[in-house]
Amino acid sequence: MEHDIILEFKHITKTFPGVTALDDVSFQIKRGSIHGVCGENGAGKSTLMKILSGVYPYGEYEGQVFFNGEELILEGSSIKQASEKGIAIVYQELTLVPEMTVGENIFLGKEPVEFGSINWDKVYCDTQKILDEYKLDIHPQDKVKNLGVGKMQMTEIAKALSEDAKVLILDEPTSALSEAEVAQLMKILRTLKEHGVTCIYITHRIEEFFQIADSLTVLRDGRVVTTNIIDAINSQKLIHHMVGREMNERFPKGNRKPGDVIFEVTDLHAKDHKDREIINGVSFSLRRGEILGIAGLMGSGRTELVMTIFGEYAKITQGTIAMEGKPLSITSSHDAMKHGISLVPEDRKRHGLVLIQSLFKNLSLPNLERFAGFMRINKNSELIECLKSANELEIKAPNLFIPAESLSGGNQQKVVIAKWLMSSPKVLIMDDPTRGVDVGAKYEIYKIMNELAEKGMAILLISSDLQEVLGMSDRIMVMCQGHTNGILDRSEATQERIMTLATGNCLEKQNHEEVLQ
Amino acid sequence: MNFSNLIDLIRKNIQTYIIIIALVAIWGVFAIGTNGLYLSPQNISNLFRQMTVTSFMAIGMVLVMVTGGIDLSVGKMAGFVSVIVALFQRDVWFRFIPDQPILAAFLSVIVGLMVGTMFGAFQAYITAYLGVPSFIVTLGGQFILNGGILLATQGKTIAANQPGFSTIGQGYLESPVDWILGIVVMIILFVMVFLTRRNKKKYGFQLNPIYKDLIRTSLISLLILVYIFVVNKFNGVPIPVIILAVTAIIISYISTNTKFGRYAYAIGGNREAARLSGINIKKEIFLIFSLMGLLCGVGGIVLASYVGFGTISAGQGYELDAIASCVLGGTSTLGGSGTIFGALIGALIMTSLNTGLQMMDVAPAWQYVLRGFVLVLAVIIDVFFKKSNN
Repeated sequence: MEHDIILEFKHITKTFPGVTALDDVSFQIKRGSIHGVCGENGAGKSTLMKILSGVYPYGEYEGQVFFNGEELILEGSSIKQASEKGIAIVYQELTLVPEMTVGENIFLGKEPVEFGSINWDKVYCDTQKILDEYKLDIHPQDKVKNLGVGKMQMTEIAKALSEDAKVLILDEPTSALSEAEVAQLMKILRTLKEHGVTCIYITHRIEEFFQIADSLTVLRDGRVVTTNIIDAINSQKLIHHMVGREMNERFPKGNRKPGDVIFEVTDLHAKDHKDREIINGVSFSLRRGEILGIAGLMGSGRTELVMTIFGEYAKITQGTIAMEGKPLSITSSHDAMKHGISLVPEDRKRHGLVLIQSLFKNLSLPNLERFAGFMRINKNSELIECLKSANELEIKAPNLFIPAESLSGGNQQKVVIAKWLMSSPKVLIMDDPTRGVDVGAKYEIYKIMNELAEKGMAILLISSDLQEVLGMSDRIMVMCQGHTNGILDRSEATQERIMTLATGNCLEKQNHEEVLQ
Repeated sequence: MNFSNLIDLIRKNIQTYIIIIALVAIWGVFAIGTNGLYLSPQNISNLFRQMTVTSFMAIGMVLVMVTGGIDLSVGKMAGFVSVIVALFQRDVWFRFIPDQPILAAFLSVIVGLMVGTMFGAFQAYITAYLGVPSFIVTLGGQFILNGGILLATQGKTIAANQPGFSTIGQGYLESPVDWILGIVVMIILFVMVFLTRRNKKKYGFQLNPIYKDLIRTSLISLLILVYIFVVNKFNGVPIPVIILAVTAIIISYISTNTKFGRYAYAIGGNREAARLSGINIKKEIFLIFSLMGLLCGVGGIVLASYVGFGTISAGQGYELDAIASCVLGGTSTLGGSGTIFGALIGALIMTSLNTGLQMMDVAPAWQYVLRGFVLVLAVIIDVFFKKSNN
């Protein structure tokens, strides 16, 4: 029984000044299993993983960690120690060097050296061996920057495996992946399991636990709520455990009645700066008070489409964009905003926020023209307006003068939304508004979306989470390779139907079994 | 304002405090090393006058660096302006309007500002609209200007010492005019305290306790008055110091109170977020590099007037002094943060080191070594404090 347990946490407590991040956490992980760890942001998942990987060395926490039956003692600055012992972590934000090849990345810091020079043949040969062993479909000589997010993730996993990892920690590996890539990741994880590698799997997408995990530990406010065999739990119960309150549904019911058409895109074609036609034939209309979901696989052109509409991506070669019946010519985000279009961008850290600046400066950035003449910004009225919108969205912050980087992901996302709402748009485009946001904050963002739609705002929702698109939209447009491949009503939309359209098939000829493979 | 806010405030301004303490410490060391000579009215007067030329460039460099760029051509640009201005004095004004020094001085200023702005705009266009990194554009610009200086001077020194023009760099505002000016500034400062408070009240904000505002304003006023008192014992307030103060106030105001300034910080903080927020980045970058050119024009004019010559080595190495001043003053080399005030203190420190080491007869080689160490040390301290804050 003893050696069946590869990893055991015993009474782990970790405190930071003023906060107890982990409070008497104890649970066990079986060898060769896939163990899910879930909880809201701030529940203590990351802290626990940082203890395991040596970021918080031995002595900075109370309690014991047993690895292979022995106490795990990682001394200061010991991230390397952890990987030597066979514990590897694949971070949420990828840590590869884009300009280097897959092989170079995998052997970074441990290049085989002969007489002072690197043996590149051995690097690529060994890389190929690892890739073959785990059936990873990547070429060792490809540059990482040319890979998709999914393959980067695989490279990251291969890197961990090359260090002979016994325990692999995956911290939100799927947050940037499309459904197809997620399916592939699942396959890889099952292969790893066959090879006897233990995985600790952290994600915000709870359906994934049911697809892949053998067992599950739920953390809330630094404590273990339950540690369970997966069969004994359903998603309703799981959410209940995570948030500590009954949440009858993941998506709040809206009470909205879409009005007349306000925004219309007809047969849009666009070419990017490399002269590739990335948008070829997109048409849809959007009504007042309606949420139109846009679904599609990664690379289907969803983000490219909305960025083009927003005037910041590709050049429109054909087709029209019309607001309230009048055709628009939009060549920059400035134009788009002038015409009443706002966009909550996909990646809040890269595109949404100036992280080092204060909240109020972030909030007012696109709206400065309202407070400023040619010369002076009226800082008083600026602050008043920012306070008002921060309160409306219930942004949790001690004041508006703290830098945006000090907020949690959910609150940061609310700042991005608030920033764009201040310009009172007629059409709000939201590109993956709940990515990397915990369940509670997700629910709040959904509520905000419903309220906005009820007030008559037209919302375009892009999401890589199919459940979210299904749960929130009145209608769903499915994109495939840059064109509209069908628009479904909420009542007729199912996960299978969307996937059928997204993979380029027509609904008449659909064959579920085939598509799902 | 509660306690934690106060700590936040101190934390946020810790850089400013440290650099002021450093300045006082440096002055202290030199005062002891020169038996008090370093703090004599004459030396204080010279010190502030000497810092002006690089300060104009440092002010512009703050904005350039805040947007994430760099300008390596500023030293040579100021040098080029000074040479052109001198050339105009010798070959144009002296020939056609020899008996009108004021008009000649005025025209020299116009020419200097135009030359600076035009070359700045030329580099700005290539950086902003053609997308060439500013490091490369201005490195090339430095070479071009160096050639320009050699062509314009033909390797000779050109006099620029007409009486009207010389006043710009060499003149003084004497007592009682400087006292009156100082008192007017003081009154404006206090009136502004009350106006700001009234405005904030109108919007329903909580106000700082009034004594805090008054203490702060009184301290600033006191510094101004002490300065005037000290330099009056020599010749009065140097004119270039007044030009610098006015310029600094204007640019500082622009950087914190206008859209233009706010956008600059946003671009440096996160270019993509700024772009998606509807900011015309190209235009903004263009304007900032053009403004840099204009300020180099001002620096070049003061330089020519102060030195009285246009020489082939004019402005040599000033760009490095300007960048060092910014960095000392807390401007991030990665963009997104930095203040005009900080850069001025940074420039004052660099100049203080220069003059102090000269007065103590330190060999020029060791002067360079020491200045280099101080710069790196300052950044080490800064990095250390930023880490301990996190």
